[in-house]
Amino acid sequence: MTAYLAHFLVMVAIYAILALSLNLLIGYSGIFSLAHAAIYGIGAYASALAALKLGLGFWGGLVVAAGAGAFASALVAIPSLRVAGDYYVVASFGLQVVVLAVFMNWTDLTNGHAGLPGIPRPKLFGWVIDQPFEYVFLAVAFAVLTWAVCWRLTNSAFGRVLQAIRDDEIAAQAMGKNVVLVKIVIACISSALGAMAGSLYAHYITYINPSSFSLHESIFIATLVILGGSERLAGPIVGAFLLLAIPEVLKFMAIPDTVAAPMRQIIYGALLIVFMLVRPEGILGRARHGR
Amino acid sequence: MAAEPAILCVEGLARSFGGIQAVEACTFDVQPGVITGLIGPNGAGKTTVFNLITGFLDADHGSIRLQGKELLGLSPHRVERLGVVRTFQHLRLWNKMSVLENVLLGCATPAGENVFSLFLRAGAVRAEETRARERAMEVLQFFGLADRVHELAEDLAYPEQKLLSMARIFATDAPVLLLDEPTSGLDSESLGRIVPMVRRLVDHGKTVLLIEHNMELISELSDQVVFLHQGRVLAAGPPAEITRDPALTEIYFGV
Amino acid sequence: MDLFLQLAATGLVVGSLYALCALGWGLIYGTTLHFHVAHGAVFTLAAYFAYAAQKFLGLPLALAVVAGVFAAALSGMLIDFLIYQPLERRGAIRTTLFIASLGLLTLIENLLAIIFTPDPLRMEVGWLADSVQLGPVFLTRLHLVSMATAILGFVALMAFLKYSLWGQAIRAVSSSPEMARTVGIDLRRVHLLTYAVGSAISAPAGILVAMDVGVEPYRGTTFVLLASVAVIMGGIGSIPGALLGALFLALLENIGVWKIPSEWQSTISFGVFLMFIVVRPRGFFGRKIQSAEI
Repeated sequence: MTAYLAHFLVMVAIYAILALSLNLLIGYSGIFSLAHAAIYGIGAYASALAALKLGLGFWGGLVVAAGAGAFASALVAIPSLRVAGDYYVVASFGLQVVVLAVFMNWTDLTNGHAGLPGIPRPKLFGWVIDQPFEYVFLAVAFAVLTWAVCWRLTNSAFGRVLQAIRDDEIAAQAMGKNVVLVKIVIACISSALGAMAGSLYAHYITYINPSSFSLHESIFIATLVILGGSERLAGPIVGAFLLLAIPEVLKFMAIPDTVAAPMRQIIYGALLIVFMLVRPEGILGRARHGR
Repeated sequence: MAAEPAILCVEGLARSFGGIQAVEACTFDVQPGVITGLIGPNGAGKTTVFNLITGFLDADHGSIRLQGKELLGLSPHRVERLGVVRTFQHLRLWNKMSVLENVLLGCATPAGENVFSLFLRAGAVRAEETRARERAMEVLQFFGLADRVHELAEDLAYPEQKLLSMARIFATDAPVLLLDEPTSGLDSESLGRIVPMVRRLVDHGKTVLLIEHNMELISELSDQVVFLHQGRVLAAGPPAEITRDPALTEIYFGV
Repeated sequence: MDLFLQLAATGLVVGSLYALCALGWGLIYGTTLHFHVAHGAVFTLAAYFAYAAQKFLGLPLALAVVAGVFAAALSGMLIDFLIYQPLERRGAIRTTLFIASLGLLTLIENLLAIIFTPDPLRMEVGWLADSVQLGPVFLTRLHLVSMATAILGFVALMAFLKYSLWGQAIRAVSSSPEMARTVGIDLRRVHLLTYAVGSAISAPAGILVAMDVGVEPYRGTTFVLLASVAVIMGGIGSIPGALLGALFLALLENIGVWKIPSEWQSTISFGVFLMFIVVRPRGFFGRKIQSAEI
């Protein structure tokens, strides 16, 4: 039971990082991305490959992951954000599809469907972190760090600019804010953090394969953010907790496996619709921060 | 005629939409330290001129020079950086943000807006934020909005929202202020608050170019007037000259 | 050379399907500015409806197809009426609407997956499956029907938009909703009509796929997002552009296979898309992108 609980907590922490980082985009900047799972995957693969092929440990892998995530994001953000938000949605979809294709088909590098096993656990001053509750500490520590970074970003002049862009982008431009640059910067930061979550995941499960980083996963992460809300930074964390609990609840309801997966998706889809109708400001309204 | 060179020179500005020529061969100068009013009947192209000057629209031809620097082709935020800032007819306040935050966004906070210095130079960022807040409070006092500091922009009464839209551009320290219909939608009592405020802007050394619909107000508000019709400048001069010209009044009222 | 021609022919067939999706989605997006990803679920629903009509109600193929098209038109209208219009009345911003649409897409696709299982379900097509040889190229009659349907759909849509009163109303709203409102056009009705027409014109794409390889619950997502790429490349607001964009995309993907392994097809499409929006964001025939109404 305790191992199960530890695992649940680690996954909540990882998804909290994913949700917090995506929230920077969707909640604070009003830019919708369908590629966060691809970024998560880029982080996981970059970190795993850095460990397996270059012998870098977890900490080195973390840096490689962040760099790879930011780079991939910049590649897509720079052309599309100059134009309009809808272009970014489509471009992010493209990124998601392409990245997954790379994971599945560049078999020399990624082993394709078979995935990459044997990813080493993190080491801290010679101590290997492999007990379940040790990992909980590591994951939660990273979640707290991510939260702190997001807090600093949003409770600052920069955060004010983000909010202004979301509230009225034209006025922001008229007041001298370089809106496109700010959006690109936030996209890169969001991706760097999301990719780091991937690194954390890879060195925890020690095996990764493409199926964890699909479009469905991107939609799931977006659902976490949207439902949890961005009124407070705690929102995405709450969202992560709640939405990870749903599958566990379903497990107890003895629903056959083939139905359980689509059933979960139906619940997420229904929740999105209901929330948009009833409480959209959970995400897209003001994200009030300190004055 | 003017002793000093014009601060803003618009020359031969032209812009068409589909087949319609919204602005054509538009040429006028804006003198520093005075209020210039841009007037003309509906559809004369006044807002289009504003959009062209501030970079929200590309011009087909022409030139717009601010103290010699060419503004044409620059994006809106670059135009602001060079010293031209504007309000909007529909205000475009950041409704879900507070009055203070709206003005703070006009104050200089380059360190706080830069991601690197945000994390690496916390002390400098904090000092800058304190200075910015002080400045914002001064500006709000100046505009008589100091008691509304923490209210949301959308909760203000309309005349106060108009004041806020002026306050935030004033906070930027830009020398040239473009006011898009600063008096529209106001009753006579509110006008009594706004009109003197525009004059006080100039007293502080700003240059104001405003769009005004009300022929009666124009004499009170402006030192110079530019009359626009069908995208062309028909006349420019002191308000008395323009408002007393029967040909122009005819065009204006479409009689 | 033979291989090239065969790939080009396949490209045209696939392009016809993309075109039908793009025409419908592009019409809706150009007129309402809704990023209606649930469109993918609508034509998938139409395909399942046609399948069920044939299999369980015993309808002949042609009638089953018609039933599918009607189901699409109705679903599209219901989605606008029950979800999008209420959202707009509450002042929802565009991203809110997009999220609701995404929720709908997820919900409908997965509901279909539970009801019909995720396996592809093929409709009975009889002699349409027969092969036809045109020079070195092999196609089935169904493929020819697909191409014909796309051409017919395109022509019919253009005629409708140009000559019918309702079509002109749609064009007016598409070009400027403000102006359309001032001349007395009822925007809500025009939106509903746009959804009906847009959904109806894309329905055959899903149904043709059901007739060829079988309908699956999740393919709609990829199709609708490819349709949006086609519309952007062709130019928002341009119907011929959507057609061109779709054909271009399909040809690119299928001819690309000649030199590049097929797993990389999607990479080609999106790589080209990214280059496109750098070089010419307004697409082949689109209106120039300008800042929003100021």
